[in-house]
Amino acid sequence: MAASGGGWAAAFLVRAAALQAPASPAPDTPAPQVPGAPPPQLVITGGGAQRFAVPDCIPRKGDEASREACRALTQVLRNDLRFEFSAAQFVQENLFTAIPALNPDAPNFEDWRGIGAEVLVITRAEVAGAELTVELKVHFVGTGQAMLAKRYSGKADNPRVFAHQASDDIMTLTPYKGVARSKIAFVSDRDGGKGRATKELYIMDYDGFNPRRVTVNRSMNILPAWSPDGRSLAYISYRQGAPEVFVAHIFEGRSSNLTGGKGGQSFAPAFSPDGKRIAFASSRSGNMEIWVANADGTGARKVTSSAAADTAPVWSPTGLEIAFTSDRGGTPQIYVMDAEGLNVRRLTTVGNYNDAPAWNPAKQWSEIAYTSRLEGAFRIAVVDLATRQVRQITEGRGSCEYPSWAQNGRHLTFACNRRGTWQISVSDREGRTVQALSAGSGNNVMPDWGP
Amino acid sequence: MDWRRTLTFVSVAVVLFLIGSGCGSKRKPVIATASGGSGGAARPGPATTPAEPEPVDAGPDVRSLDEGAYTTGDFPVSDPTTGEGGPLEDIHFGYDQATLTEEARAILEKHALWLQNQRDAKVIVEGHCDQRGTVEYNLALGDQRARAAHDYLASLGVAQDRMKVVSYGKERPIDTSLTEAGYAKNRRAHFQVGR
Repeated sequence: MAASGGGWAAAFLVRAAALQAPASPAPDTPAPQVPGAPPPQLVITGGGAQRFAVPDCIPRKGDEASREACRALTQVLRNDLRFEFSAAQFVQENLFTAIPALNPDAPNFEDWRGIGAEVLVITRAEVAGAELTVELKVHFVGTGQAMLAKRYSGKADNPRVFAHQASDDIMTLTPYKGVARSKIAFVSDRDGGKGRATKELYIMDYDGFNPRRVTVNRSMNILPAWSPDGRSLAYISYRQGAPEVFVAHIFEGRSSNLTGGKGGQSFAPAFSPDGKRIAFASSRSGNMEIWVANADGTGARKVTSSAAADTAPVWSPTGLEIAFTSDRGGTPQIYVMDAEGLNVRRLTTVGNYNDAPAWNPAKQWSEIAYTSRLEGAFRIAVVDLATRQVRQITEGRGSCEYPSWAQNGRHLTFACNRRGTWQISVSDREGRTVQALSAGSGNNVMPDWGP
Repeated sequence: MDWRRTLTFVSVAVVLFLIGSGCGSKRKPVIATASGGSGGAARPGPATTPAEPEPVDAGPDVRSLDEGAYTTGDFPVSDPTTGEGGPLEDIHFGYDQATLTEEARAILEKHALWLQNQRDAKVIVEGHCDQRGTVEYNLALGDQRARAAHDYLASLGVAQDRMKVVSYGKERPIDTSLTEAGYAKNRRAHFQVGR
């Protein structure tokens, strides 16, 4: 980041506060349980998946601020839950008018069971001054049992954060960590004016809202990569002429240059899963090779040795292997090697142009997403490492490229150009729910999904 | 086949004799060449002392390299804001190629002469790609293109500390028309000249 003084750093700290979760909730009301029974679980897919009903939030007071907070909370929570679970799991809201209104203090479970709900999500909200308080209760309709009870308090100016927190807390009832509070970093050219085109880094909520600019140096800033703890963003900046690896410590308002003075150019940084090392591509030895350094840039060593171009390194979930792109076979393909550079083997066998590997970080799925040119257009593809079967995530008009996995491995983000501009898109890992996010103006590319 | 081989041998011998005697060549070899082809003239005998620099014949494509011939200070530079323009024209590449064409080499030879005459000029050799292809592989391809141009200039005698190599991949196209002609313009090495 340009060290342009305290004003800029202060602006950053304000952003940092906004990025954090609202004030910690009051203690849970423990769910009444049969002694010795396992904690109640929500099933997220498949035959046992329960049907949800998410009625409108009920304001605790009649004032407009509380009612408006409830409306925003309801809409965002429904979107979050439909993203995590499948849309088919939700009882249609227009059926709610067929039963008596919800009494939040004594829910009429019989009525809700009658319209097919198995899980009932009840929310209440109240605005007092500048403070918003939200209560969440989740019940199994069959037994009336409360599975979850939470209270959140914080500033009233951002009800979306409360809904995201509620969705993530509901996800604690499943085997998966929720993504509603996660952020996607990306690159946009929206700030370019006359003269030199600029590309700056942005961070937005996973649903495309609240894009915030991260770099302000009016040069080219590309290829963002989150650290595993979500507190740093590595990226490539041309602000000093040649492209170098920088790391923005976004909650501390400072950044460091990891590769300056070493010669050549650097691209494609990627933190290891334990956050202690960083892989990147560098031409300092004369051609583009993969290098690995400590996360502070010290101890850099070259791990590929091929006259071909090697780039786009990514780590396996164990941190023991690296996948990368190489044209050593004549065309760009995905290869895998040990993190020390031994045992290089080619992974992709379909298509003559494969680039940008992204290794699913969830250990239960052993697969790598990548960009593949198929029938003349670029598609997001996923290869299963055990079976080597390839499935296509995107299809249709235009091209998509540059996949990045959510931390729980259930979704991907990537950039697509369907109608002339590039937009950040997301999909579940099967490619059934591809949708574009509205991340703002310009061409928006190179997404990286943070924790 | 014997007579053919004999004929070839004789031809080669004749050519070598002609080169060795300095006939068939109207000018001395340039001090540094890329391939060393025409520079492979036979040397004088081992016992001779190094000769004084011999005067270079005048000719349309010969430039004097002695010290007084270059200029300092005022020369045109590329636009400092955009990096575009400047006194050294772009060279272009085939689709998915980083090898120099004959035309590119000819242009680079002119650039090397210009740089030898403007000793204060520095140049950033930029590698660019067209908008097809992917982000990361295009950054690598742009690097290969820029290095091909840089290495050829270095082999022609341009000092490496005057040059930097930067790849922009497909991130900074000069033509956004998305046509074949536009793509061809974007597959280039650009020479950003500064002081």
